[in-house]
Amino acid sequence: MKARILDRADVLKIVDLLRQQGYEVMAPFCGRGRDTYFDVVTEQNRDQVQTHFANPYYPPKRYVLPHIEPMLKVTRANGNVRIEPIYEEPKRAIFGIRSCDVAGIYHLDLFYLGGSFRDTYYDKRRKNLFLVNMVCTDPDRDVGDECFCVCADTGPAARDRFDLQLMDLGDEFMAVAGTPAGESLLADPVFRRGTEAHVEKRRAILDEVRKRFKTSTSWFSATVRYVSHGEVLEKTWEEIGNRCIECGGCTYVCPACTCFTVSDRQTGPDEVERVRIWDSCALGGFTRMAGGHNPRKAVHDRRNRRFFRKLAHYFIQRELSMACVGCGRCVDVCHGNIGMPSVVEMIRRATAEFENHEHVSR
Amino acid sequence: MSTSAVEKIDLTGANISATENAYLPKVAILDRVVPEITDVKTFYWRFEDAAEQQAFRRFRPGQFAQVSLFGVGEFPTSLPASPTEDETFFTVRRVGSCTAALHKMKPGDKFAVRGPYGNGFPMEDYYGKSLVFVAGGIGLIPLRSCIVYALKHRDKYNHIQIFLGAKTPQELMYVPNLREWEQSAGVECYLSVDRSDGVWAGNVGVVGSLFKKPGVQVQVEDTVAFVCGPPVMFRFVIKDLLTMGFQERNIVSTLERYMKCGIGKCGHCCIGVAYVCVDGPVFTYEQIKKLGEDI
Repeated sequence: MKARILDRADVLKIVDLLRQQGYEVMAPFCGRGRDTYFDVVTEQNRDQVQTHFANPYYPPKRYVLPHIEPMLKVTRANGNVRIEPIYEEPKRAIFGIRSCDVAGIYHLDLFYLGGSFRDTYYDKRRKNLFLVNMVCTDPDRDVGDECFCVCADTGPAARDRFDLQLMDLGDEFMAVAGTPAGESLLADPVFRRGTEAHVEKRRAILDEVRKRFKTSTSWFSATVRYVSHGEVLEKTWEEIGNRCIECGGCTYVCPACTCFTVSDRQTGPDEVERVRIWDSCALGGFTRMAGGHNPRKAVHDRRNRRFFRKLAHYFIQRELSMACVGCGRCVDVCHGNIGMPSVVEMIRRATAEFENHEHVSR
Repeated sequence: MSTSAVEKIDLTGANISATENAYLPKVAILDRVVPEITDVKTFYWRFEDAAEQQAFRRFRPGQFAQVSLFGVGEFPTSLPASPTEDETFFTVRRVGSCTAALHKMKPGDKFAVRGPYGNGFPMEDYYGKSLVFVAGGIGLIPLRSCIVYALKHRDKYNHIQIFLGAKTPQELMYVPNLREWEQSAGVECYLSVDRSDGVWAGNVGVVGSLFKKPGVQVQVEDTVAFVCGPPVMFRFVIKDLLTMGFQERNIVSTLERYMKCGIGKCGHCCIGVAYVCVDGPVFTYEQIKKLGEDI
């Protein structure tokens, strides 16, 4: 992959370049305290764009799958019904998307564009989306307490699926092109050729930052095996379920969760709009049918569902990607401490203990 | 300009329709409504666009459609018609807001339909075999399509037996069809009701009680059993069939789930490793057992 070097002071010129090319650029900004968020870059706020920041809780997946997305407009006139699709095809760039979220969007690509049907709405939003990945290099500001991308193998530096990747080397930034579109940006005079020393520096920084992750292991492989083989005890699922307060937070902040519901809303006397809205398998009504029958009545059945969907080998193979990218958001928002790493750990401990015991007593 | 990683994903041949918007329903017109039983009516309809109608009619028995009632929502429903029949219709029980809105509609009213979706029953794979249909209550709705299809292709199948159960004689559905099947030489049709109304001369008892009646010889050898009905009925009938010697893979059923998209995206119908909408709704009992959730 082609790499170039640019001065630290010039890094926001990439934002300018993209804006000149007609992109609406979304970039990270800091609010009060830990609060960070992606917003549209304007003339006024351009200088406040951050390069080191705590990853926003609201995942950038909303740029391909908005939390409320209009799908159709239905109008009635003189006994006729007209159904028109509502499409949005913005030319948009996300500046500063974290490596875990790049993996999240790639997972959504495989899910929404693969399978038996291609999702038109996703396709249209995704087609012109340009991703400028920012590598997490600052252990204090970039790496959160709950980040575990090193276990999920998605970070701290994404290996691919971005258009352009930026990495802070101190006085300079390194820019790596991941697609032809990203490479074409490197023609700008702001970039210059790097040296072997730059590559060496990159390696040294990444080696160091990898050691600074606090959640260093989450035992994925053992847990994936136990979940896939159906070896997890019902008791363990119940323990996990008992901690769930069914707020749905984990699914809303997850960059790889895909579920949605569809709802009609009246927009005029003879006009209805159909929208899709993020939905959560944690919520009781998720599987409840019109007659009232709910095949997933117990809380732990629903918790089981979310982790089964993310950890079962079958689904990992179905999408050739895992629906957990190690961003740690679910850990941050969960009131019951059943974010992905602790669930993986609970399953691994309980199942291994049981299996060992069975083995001995036999 | 191609900018993203999307282009790199090779999906050639994977997508059924890569260009069409699968969420876009097409306008349909209600032709007539026939009441079946309490809260259940049959709605005869057709697409406004004749070409859509032609394309839709190539569905397989056991597939389903998504019905849109604007301003209320969308719901999945079985296709009780057989592709060999001329008319398209739904038989729907009034249970929630969408079905209530459909029940209020009058001939000439417009709604919208998209589909057909799902795998359907592999009726061609069953050529040469005997077919046993066991339905309880409105479980007959999805099986009606298979029965009509099988009778239309009568020479392709060996024995055909139909066992139907209803709560009362008044709760028997598709009565003109039942009379026809009862009188047809090529098919054995047995009816049972849970409670007699005093006039009913037929069998009284659960549908499974028909299996043990004198003169009834349920086909087991090289036979496929279609089972559809309420969960309690399903459990007991499966037990009976397994006792009779049916293999789990030769018992087929169709599952219903809350669905929003019908095309494997919204996630609501996912049980175990299967999306009911694209991997089903038709599953063998062998598969259903492995899914690990209530029927």
